[in-house]
Amino acid sequence: MTPFRSAPAGYVARWEDVEREVLGRVARDVAELVRAESGLEPGIEVGDGVAFTGVARVPQDPAVQRLLPDAHDEDADVATEFRHLTQTDLAAGKVARLLAFADAIESPDELPDDPRAGAEVVVPRESAQEFAGALTDVRLVLAERLGLVDDADVETLHDDVLSGVDEEDEDTDDADDTPDEFAGWERVGLSGPERRYWGGVFVAAGFAQESLVDEMLADLRAGRADG
Amino acid sequence: MNGQTTTAATAVAATEVERETRTDAATAVADPWVTIVWNDPVNLMSYVSYVFESYFGYPPAKAQKLMMQVHHDGRAVVSSGPRERMEVDVQAMHGFGLWATLRQSGASDGGVEGGAAGGAA
Repeated sequence: MTPFRSAPAGYVARWEDVEREVLGRVARDVAELVRAESGLEPGIEVGDGVAFTGVARVPQDPAVQRLLPDAHDEDADVATEFRHLTQTDLAAGKVARLLAFADAIESPDELPDDPRAGAEVVVPRESAQEFAGALTDVRLVLAERLGLVDDADVETLHDDVLSGVDEEDEDTDDADDTPDEFAGWERVGLSGPERRYWGGVFVAAGFAQESLVDEMLADLRAGRADG
Repeated sequence: MNGQTTTAATAVAATEVERETRTDAATAVADPWVTIVWNDPVNLMSYVSYVFESYFGYPPAKAQKLMMQVHHDGRAVVSSGPRERMEVDVQAMHGFGLWATLRQSGASDGGVEGGAAGGAA
């Protein structure tokens, strides 16, 4: 995976096949999770004016609660009313952009000459915000699954993933600082290899988002952003 | 007599309307609603800045200041105004994936202390 760079066609990066497959699959899983948890009927399109007819089911999954949070931290009536008015549109918007994200990365515009180099992922400027938003939702759900509660958890995970802890090296890991310092791991019950796998996906999604947003911010400040 | 009564009633009604209007205006000034964005360990600082600059149209320095306030204090008031407008802002923040709530500003003092701990719930 290379960082996104600004180009005439939009923001361009190279993602390996496995990166595109895994992130596409996760995005579709998150879309399905949001749809099911929010009570969204299949086939609802954004902008159908469903906000007033949709059933605003309160999500039970903590990850979806984070994507569709209470709008008031003390007044339950305000939160309930807000959820009733907005949740269906919000959820439908998130589902739509997650699926668009998956479509975009699963069918790259151009196949690479060298498969190991990865195919280009081109994000047009007008859809960059949706693409970055989908990455946010994916990262928020992964963070919940990984039990990442505070900044220190995220830093520890980054260090572990980037230090390239070998999956075959289980015993050494246990003797080292990996397992027990990560309190969230125990809480959510992920095995070491699971944590490393999803941790790797989380870090990759963060890398993609950071480079994309840096370029978006530069364009915004230079007044070059579309829409 | 009728006329006088009518006039008196009209005058009373007019006074009522005027008082209500004035109260509404006073309330709007004293207690606008606010949009609060809360810290989370996932959203990138650059993304939060991007949201504040692109959605609210804040200049980079103001967006940066609010972003750092969210990061260090656990939360920041990012906009204020009538409730309906704050609902639009909160919905937009949720769309971006930021954790936001609305609150009547008069009730906010002290109520959001220790806000950063809220993320652990």
